[in-house]
Amino acid sequence: MEQLGLILLNGLVYGLLLFMLSVGLTLIFGMMGVLNLAHASFYMLGAFLAFTISIRLGFWAALIIVPVLVGLIGAVVERYGLRTVHKHGHLAELLFTFGLAFIIGEVVPLIWGRTPVPYRVPAALDFPLFSIAGNAYPAYRLFMMAVAIAMFLVLYLALARTRLGLVVRAALTHPDMVGMLGHDVPKVFTLVFGAGCALAGLAGVIAGNAFTTEPGMARSLGAIVFAIVVMGGLGSIWGALVASLLIGFVQTASISLDMPLGTALMHLGIPVNTAMLTDLWQITIARVAPVVPYVLLILVLALRPRGLMGTRSA
Amino acid sequence: MTLALHVTGLKKAFGPTKIIRGVELQVARGERHAVIGPNGAGKSTLFHLISGRLPSDAGQILLHGQDITGLAPHDIFNRGLARSFQVTSLFPRLSVFENLRAAAMRTHGCGHAFWRRLEGFAPLRRRAEEVLSLLGLERRRDVLAGALAYADQRALEIGVTIAGGAETILLDEPTAGMSRAETERAVTLIRRVSEGRTLVMIEHDLGVVFGLADTISVLAEGRVIASGPPDQVRGDPAVRTAYLGAAAETLA
Amino acid sequence: MSAPAQTALARPQSGAALRAMLPWVLAALAALILPHVVPGGFGLSLLCRMGIAIVFALSFNMLLGQGGMLDFGHAVFLGLGGFLAMHAMKLADAGWWIPLPALPLVGAAGGLAVAILAGWVSTRRAGTAFAMITLGVAELVVAVVLLLPSVFGGEEGLSGDRSSGPPLLGVDFGTQIQAYYLIAAWAWAAALLMWLYTRTPLGRLANAIRDNPERVGFLGYDAARIRLLVFSLSGLFAGIAGGLAALNDEIVTAGNMSPEASSAVLVMTFIGGVGTFWGPVIGAVLITFLSVALSTVTDAWQLYSGLLFVAMVVWAPGGISGIILAHAPVVRAGFAGRLAPAYAAMLPGFFLALAGTLGLAELGFRLQSVRNGASPRPVFGMALDPQGVLPWVVAAILLLAGAWLLRRAAPAAREAWQEASVMAQVQ
Ligand SMILES: Nc1ncnc2c1ncn2[C@@H]1O[C@H](COP(=O)(O)OP(=O)(O)O)[C@@H](O)[C@H]1O
Ligand SMILES: [Mg+2]
Repeated sequence: MEQLGLILLNGLVYGLLLFMLSVGLTLIFGMMGVLNLAHASFYMLGAFLAFTISIRLGFWAALIIVPVLVGLIGAVVERYGLRTVHKHGHLAELLFTFGLAFIIGEVVPLIWGRTPVPYRVPAALDFPLFSIAGNAYPAYRLFMMAVAIAMFLVLYLALARTRLGLVVRAALTHPDMVGMLGHDVPKVFTLVFGAGCALAGLAGVIAGNAFTTEPGMARSLGAIVFAIVVMGGLGSIWGALVASLLIGFVQTASISLDMPLGTALMHLGIPVNTAMLTDLWQITIARVAPVVPYVLLILVLALRPRGLMGTRSA
Repeated sequence: MTLALHVTGLKKAFGPTKIIRGVELQVARGERHAVIGPNGAGKSTLFHLISGRLPSDAGQILLHGQDITGLAPHDIFNRGLARSFQVTSLFPRLSVFENLRAAAMRTHGCGHAFWRRLEGFAPLRRRAEEVLSLLGLERRRDVLAGALAYADQRALEIGVTIAGGAETILLDEPTAGMSRAETERAVTLIRRVSEGRTLVMIEHDLGVVFGLADTISVLAEGRVIASGPPDQVRGDPAVRTAYLGAAAETLA
Repeated sequence: MSAPAQTALARPQSGAALRAMLPWVLAALAALILPHVVPGGFGLSLLCRMGIAIVFALSFNMLLGQGGMLDFGHAVFLGLGGFLAMHAMKLADAGWWIPLPALPLVGAAGGLAVAILAGWVSTRRAGTAFAMITLGVAELVVAVVLLLPSVFGGEEGLSGDRSSGPPLLGVDFGTQIQAYYLIAAWAWAAALLMWLYTRTPLGRLANAIRDNPERVGFLGYDAARIRLLVFSLSGLFAGIAGGLAALNDEIVTAGNMSPEASSAVLVMTFIGGVGTFWGPVIGAVLITFLSVALSTVTDAWQLYSGLLFVAMVVWAPGGISGIILAHAPVVRAGFAGRLAPAYAAMLPGFFLALAGTLGLAELGFRLQSVRNGASPRPVFGMALDPQGVLPWVVAAILLLAGAWLLRRAAPAAREAWQEASVMAQVQ
């Protein structure tokens, strides 16, 4: 039972982290129709910048400075890059962000090297909070959760209460109408893109030290986050939330299961011929965990091509 | 005689806004039928429902007595209904000729063939050439559709719609945004391409409507408030109120 | 139409058909001669890679350029085609009668099968969603391949010996030159088939769904069905490339289908140009050459190809073939001379910016190796200290000054081109 509680806790933290990334992606997509393929790269940039800044100025300074910095970088990218290719259509925009991810993926190891950097949890939060299922539960995890939830509250209020939020919400439901609202659309785009990137940067700050900060982190997490936004239904924030938590829980649960796949299937009453593909049935569920998001993606899309909560077809 | 198109009790809402509120529409085979009505009355939406672009909330659509309600656009086309768009919808990076050829492929036995040359389909090529000269666009044959002048694009929009030879044709404001002379050319074109077919046309220009249509239906506030021969509709008091009301709104 | 009129119509057409075949004849001749022109075994193996890359990039462009479908996992088809071909090669090693030249067919079957399966999920959507699903499917396939070492050999992959099969007409394909001619023949045939495909109904429908998928539905076609067919055929040709790679390398690993490999084919296809049939050929040849030539000189090759790619997306979305197409009429009309001064005015800025970019990147990589305890290699023959401030400042200034000059010179160049092309049209 405690084991289950641990899985739920860890799944929640992981799911919230995934949602922090997918919410920025979804906002940008909803506004601009562009899926920012460099989104996870901004997350990685956030983690590495946080590492560098936390050495000089400490973690708390990094927590403030890095999102602003990453947001500024994002805004500059939008203003001087994305806006230029906008006239060539969505495919060109997608290709641009793809190239951007490619470049960031090369520049980061250029600056910080190809091996993980020792970005550590701040000492003030580096203690076990309580013990669950025989494991000491780190206080930092709870801090991550708190930051994520605080971020959602701020975001929610900003969307619900500000004029900019009104425009963004209008854009999410009626993408073709924004231009007619008489707002400075390009400026709103730059703001939203920058804000989305800042969110990714913030996720990098708080997750880079809980997990590992290394040049491959954008790729491994990026693919999952893109799977999430498609699974949830492109442009749907609620869909992204459901899909993030779903993947957070399922993946965390499967990591902690040491049972071989064949045995698991037999427990479920699914007969398998273990004589064939012997290595497949002997793989533990834990090792299958990395593919879980994609299996879920395919299952969801096979049943519901537009995604969990998708309304708009691409 | 079965009707070419028979719409009953058709309804459609976007969220809370009911746009189509129970449309009844009967189009006889071989007639030219105009649908008129104030801006935003839901005329294009009605076409979207009939052609399968949008799902309807309620009601039934019969094409030559066959139920086509809820079918996908390509299924509806394959049952003999083709439509044009108010906002020009062509293949901008294909030439005028290739636009017409692509439009006629389905009905000229091409299927999805990837083992036969397109050039090998002689009737298809002849059909595309025929429509090309019908449109008077021979000299623009190899120009990319995206590079055409607006009026030529509108003509091509009609050409792409009729190239497949559908029996029932829906045209959504084919003359919108055209000059006087261009409109006249377009009317001649529409008259020719609709010969021997059933035509349903949304049109703003009442001159065009009264010159071309055998029957006129008036759509206002989501319902067909009048339907009949031009003279009868012209005198209909309900139509006058609908139009005068709309005119008053635009003035205000 | 009367009979003579018909033949009169037919005649120029057959002439056109002959003219259309001319590039293919020339390509075949070039493929025959090239190994005798290009020096050494290194050149030969480079040619083999180019042949494979050409097939791969052309198959990719069946999706991107012709069908408007951006596939982020295209290497999966190459990889699985390669694995299947490698299994066939191993069977041949074990004494089965499997003629080696047929291996690409096995690869094609593998690529086709996986494309049908993957396409069943991905092609129901278009645009961005399609692209993201291909990404997810690719991640899944690579992960599964690594989970099944009994089938795919795990991290080491599978290897075989191409010369152990039954010799065909006395040729056993043991030597590189024999392998080259086999690859060249297959690449030529596959490219020809892909070109012929562009002139079929499905090829044209692919263009139609690229331009306007919705309208296709109102012309009687199900866009999703067209996407699935095109996707499957593209997978088939990528599988041929995989079979050729298996033949050439005698080893197939999960790396052949990694996301990096998928990115690479996207980059080379786009740089070559997606708007023409032959653009990807240019990209495949150029990028394959550069990746071999430059990766021995610099560690930053990947970064440069990424920068080139983004520069193309922003300033030359038609790629190299697009640039050629834009200038061909001007040159043919004899107006190239008018462009020369305006274009030349861009060169100083271009070279300054290039030097600055190269300087920054190379300094960065030097800094890394110095931190790791190595002594720095010289930058462009200069012994620069990557830990000093001055080289960095100079490189940054070069870049900024170059960018500034380019911005100043660009409008004039654009204007000159527009003027010249209008005049070429009028002529
Ligand atoms: N997809 C949609 N979502 C919400 N409202 C729509 C949509 N399409 C049309 N409408 C609304 O429905 C009404 C009727 O539109 P339309 O059928 O285009 O009118 P018209 O008679 O001028 O062709 C308009 O008020 C329009 O704003
Ligand atoms: Mg309308």
